[in-house]
Amino acid sequence: MLDTHIQNELIKIAGRARYFDRQEELTCYAYDAFVKEALPDAVILPETTLEVSGILKTASRFKIPVTGRGAGTSVCGAPVPIRKGIVLCFSKMDRIIEINTRDRYITVQPGVINADVQKALAPFGFFYPPDPGSMNTSTIGGNIAQDAGGPRCLKYGVTHDYVLGLEVCLASGKIIRFGSKNIKDVTGYKLASLFCGSEGTLGIITEAILKVRPLPETVKTLMVTFDDLDNTANAVTDIIGSGIIPAAMELMDKLTLNAIEDGANLGLDRKAKGSLLIEIDGVKEACEKEMKQIIEKVKQNGAVGVQEAGSELEREKLWAARRSAYAVFAKLAPDIISEDVTVPVSKVPLMIRKIIAITDKYGLKAGVLAHAGDGNMHPMIPTDRENKEEWEKVENAFSEIFRAAAELGGTLSGEHGIGLAKSDYLPLVMNNDTIEFMKKIKQAVDPDLILNPGKFV
Amino acid sequence: MTQKPLQNCGKCGFCLNACPVYKILKEEPVSPRAKLQLIKAYGNHKLASSHLLKDIISKCLMCGSCTANCPSGIDHYSAFMEMRKKMVKAHGETPAIKAVIYLLAREYRLKFGAGLAKAGQKLVPKSFSKTYKLGNIPLKNFPELNLIPFREAVDTVIFPQKKQAGTIVYFTGCATNYLYDDTGFSVIGILKHLGYKIIIPGDQGCCSIPLLFHGEKDLAFKNIISNINALKTHDADTILVDCSTCGEALKNEYPRLMEKNDRNHPAACAISSKVMDIITFIDQHFDHLEFDPGFKKKLSVTYHAPCHTRNTFQSHIIFENLLQKLEFVNYKRTSDAEECCGGGGTFFYEYPWISKKMTDKKIKNAKAVQASLWLTDCPVCRMNLAGNLNAKDNLKVMHPATLVHTALKTI
Repeated sequence: MLDTHIQNELIKIAGRARYFDRQEELTCYAYDAFVKEALPDAVILPETTLEVSGILKTASRFKIPVTGRGAGTSVCGAPVPIRKGIVLCFSKMDRIIEINTRDRYITVQPGVINADVQKALAPFGFFYPPDPGSMNTSTIGGNIAQDAGGPRCLKYGVTHDYVLGLEVCLASGKIIRFGSKNIKDVTGYKLASLFCGSEGTLGIITEAILKVRPLPETVKTLMVTFDDLDNTANAVTDIIGSGIIPAAMELMDKLTLNAIEDGANLGLDRKAKGSLLIEIDGVKEACEKEMKQIIEKVKQNGAVGVQEAGSELEREKLWAARRSAYAVFAKLAPDIISEDVTVPVSKVPLMIRKIIAITDKYGLKAGVLAHAGDGNMHPMIPTDRENKEEWEKVENAFSEIFRAAAELGGTLSGEHGIGLAKSDYLPLVMNNDTIEFMKKIKQAVDPDLILNPGKFV
Repeated sequence: MTQKPLQNCGKCGFCLNACPVYKILKEEPVSPRAKLQLIKAYGNHKLASSHLLKDIISKCLMCGSCTANCPSGIDHYSAFMEMRKKMVKAHGETPAIKAVIYLLAREYRLKFGAGLAKAGQKLVPKSFSKTYKLGNIPLKNFPELNLIPFREAVDTVIFPQKKQAGTIVYFTGCATNYLYDDTGFSVIGILKHLGYKIIIPGDQGCCSIPLLFHGEKDLAFKNIISNINALKTHDADTILVDCSTCGEALKNEYPRLMEKNDRNHPAACAISSKVMDIITFIDQHFDHLEFDPGFKKKLSVTYHAPCHTRNTFQSHIIFENLLQKLEFVNYKRTSDAEECCGGGGTFFYEYPWISKKMTDKKIKNAKAVQASLWLTDCPVCRMNLAGNLNAKDNLKVMHPATLVHTALKTI
């Protein structure tokens, strides 16, 4: 509970209706999709940049922690207020400020939902490429703070490739703006990139200018099955290595395929040891040419089944199967833990073998799912966190998976972020001086360490 | 025991954008995910019971959209109903809601109440009904009660006038019985046209969904048993509902509740397997429907898909396809056809300021497509939408069965 005079000051800024501090309300802002939870002292739902600035001024004067939050769909605990203080939730700051497809940008407030950006752009024939699994709920502010990815980021790049400029409130309450509406802009440091993946530790994003792209003319979708998981992974490196960049390339192993088929009869090949859902988009003629090359490559790698979606309905069915993977695993046990280690594409076959060896060693049931084209793996382990013995095995297995990825020149997170989940593992991929460098930056802009404290920096 | 399903919520947040109340308020506590967390905290004694807790739990349309979009397959319904029961027990209910519950709990009370209300509608001074609102809806816009309850106006058994196609048991629901007999007469008309023998059990009562949603599980239970007894005695091919919420009750809630309470589960399952909503029924018999060739007027029609039509029967898709097949219909889809209208049982009464925002958006979009007929197969949606329209909007709300029946050839 904050002192009464601080409470009064904060209520004066945002109003009583958007200031929550009763136990029932605080309980609802203690979590995201990660396992750890912590109650804040207060929750404020700002509606303007000036309110955010005012709240930060008060917070820094009294050295109260401030943790930003969008829709709370993070899977790494990033918005969990582990040091208590104020949660600033941006769900009500959700206006699209400007759509300008002629200059190829859209300006939004941080609480705008990713899917609403897509809906707003579609009538103009444009889209915003980053497509995290949570896109129907998650906000742009959260997407930027976590540097979100998604299946089609293989071809189009992730969030940091699309942030042209930001308005940010610093811990002091000062409002800064950097970047611009120009696609090309090398005026000073590329600060927008620094804020991508910063998880609210450097400042609070209050407005964003995002780059958008025209929707592709043609989309072609292919489902390929293999009787060997190595072959499946090899096909991925072979296709990417030959210079073809599909829009998406999703790998699923046997366990995943069968779990999906158990739930919904979609006609997937139950005997297949691995499958690839490949999508290419662009100009019609180019797509046809690339499709031929891809089919050739997968056949060279021993594909046993090649099925091209003949209609939008068939395409939707194939994607529905892929999208249901997480849900299907979630139903297998009380909890589901999914990580997102990432390795160079050429190491995908090796990494898959390592994941299987590690989970086998601990006797855990694990599904391997991957945005394979960019090396972004999603090992999923259905478990029960109340079962202490099993939970320890899960933690150990993931710790070994992180280590294995690091040894292959990979990294801890491809698209989820570090948050509370992986901060202990930073030394696997960074030396002490590098971690120290991040800390220096943090101290320079947030000397009292009030912004999302207790996280990776 | 009851803690088990809550463990399964992965807190992924996919329910947030499925929840009509969250989408309006944009406040986490009203989201289905938060409600599950609160129920869990309450169950673990980390959170005490309070009026605020009851209010948060009540800010829910019980539309089932969270469950339909939940990757973990959580049964929100049961968890919410159980919690509502506890909250009502601890903190009581408002007098108005109590009165509704009291009436719905016994058919004879409902009938008596409807009679009184009928008289009441005549007695209320015009100036009063012009100015005052009940919840979200101006009094003057409430539907007039049926002159005679529908089930009294028709025979209990109606025999076909041509070769018998089969037997249908018609569960009319309270709305058709007391408010919207035009829907009931249309359903009968369609069934007659197709040559069905129709049984309308006189001893049927409220489906009990309103009671369950307000935490009155014990009262609901008596009603449900009596309905099961009323329905199981007839040998029918199909048990037909014109309201998808009644349908949700008969199809899903009855078997679930009977099983939980070790009561007559097989009978509930047998009923459940025969339940069909009128839209699916019309679609399955489409080839046997003869439309009046003289009915040439092209009607501009739009459709509002009620929550339970979407989440229990998924027949909204069927109906939209059907609308495109009807030659006399010019179907004008609104982009938000599948969004909640804000009616939600008694939600429009309990939370008018939230409800109004949803309804206004729906009306704006329906007017934008310039439809003259607005079809919807849920009586609460109908009451809510019609109640918020003005005469100058030139938009008439009706049940889909009424449109289909009107266009049929007279036999």
